Amino acid sequence: MQNVEEEIKNLIAEIIEKDPAQVTPEAKFFEDLGVDSMMALEILAAIEKKYKISIPEEKLAQLTTLAKTIEVAKEYLAQKQGSNA
Amino acid sequence: MLFKDKVAVVTGGTRGIGRAIVIMLAREGASVAFTYLKSTPDAEALVKEITGSSGKVKAFQIDVRDYEKAKGLIEKVKEEFGRLDILVNNAGITKDKALMMMAKEDWQDVIDTNLGGLFNLSRNAIVTFLKQKSGNIINISSVSGIIGLSRQANYAASKAGIIGFTKALAREVGAYNIRVNAVAPGFIETDMVAGLKEEYRVEIKKRIPLERFGKAEDVAAAVKFLLSDKAGYITGQTLVVDGGMAIL
Repeated sequence: MQNVEEEIKNLIAEIIEKDPAQVTPEAKFFEDLGVDSMMALEILAAIEKKYKISIPEEKLAQLTTLAKTIEVAKEYLAQKQGSNA
Repeated sequence: MLFKDKVAVVTGGTRGIGRAIVIMLAREGASVAFTYLKSTPDAEALVKEITGSSGKVKAFQIDVRDYEKAKGLIEKVKEEFGRLDILVNNAGITKDKALMMMAKEDWQDVIDTNLGGLFNLSRNAIVTFLKQKSGNIINISSVSGIIGLSRQANYAASKAGIIGFTKALAREVGAYNIRVNAVAPGFIETDMVAGLKEEYRVEIKKRIPLERFGKAEDVAAAVKFLLSDKAGYITGQTLVVDGGMAIL
């Protein structure tokens, strides 16, 4: 899962045009990193595309830090793997 | 065929302008999901008429005033049709009265349907459009929202609101390759206009430079243009289809 964390971090950094080093697990997207709601949606869409999962729009409000984003992504990745088993 | 493999949602699709738009989209190859409020036989007849002419077609009986129903509709369309490319917010009602005679419900019903419905559908479709970085929204306004017509304070307010909504959303989502435009019909031969008194119809015609009422197909043609790639650099605009009635 370390891989997923690193991948999501890099993916977010690319979307918000910041150095991956700035995207720390607890850095707040909106306050610290200047993310707006459209960028948050792009992050969600990019994760969906990369991992071929579907994350409900309602989860958008939970994407406030890297740590939280990874948590949400893992939740749906686990569901996907569960359904494939 | 202009809209082959595209999926469109049209609100208020069984009668008048909405019906003409549904038929136009089907003829141009789109799969069409349309909503209606009451007339199930009309909806079924329309489905029958256009089945086979395009991709899929399906009617949904929903009240556009209901946010959750609108949300469910968008989800169902994506599920059954596989995607969503076009939204035409057409559903609308009139409750014409002089303001001094207008009940609170007359105001509320018109605002909730014409403007609230537009919000409900657009709000639920926009996330899909943003994610796929493409989408096309057409909102049906009215000349009443531009020049104002007496006894239509409620309707004119809702239709002017639609123009403001169109401009604001067009700015907001332009960077995501989503175009948002409005079409403002004048007097079109539909049930809505057929209900007017004969002397009022004669009076109205005098105010139309082309001296005749329009057809629903005239409006559908404007919608077709705005949805097409030929209008690829047009967003936030209101195309007036009124025989010149609202010339300023």
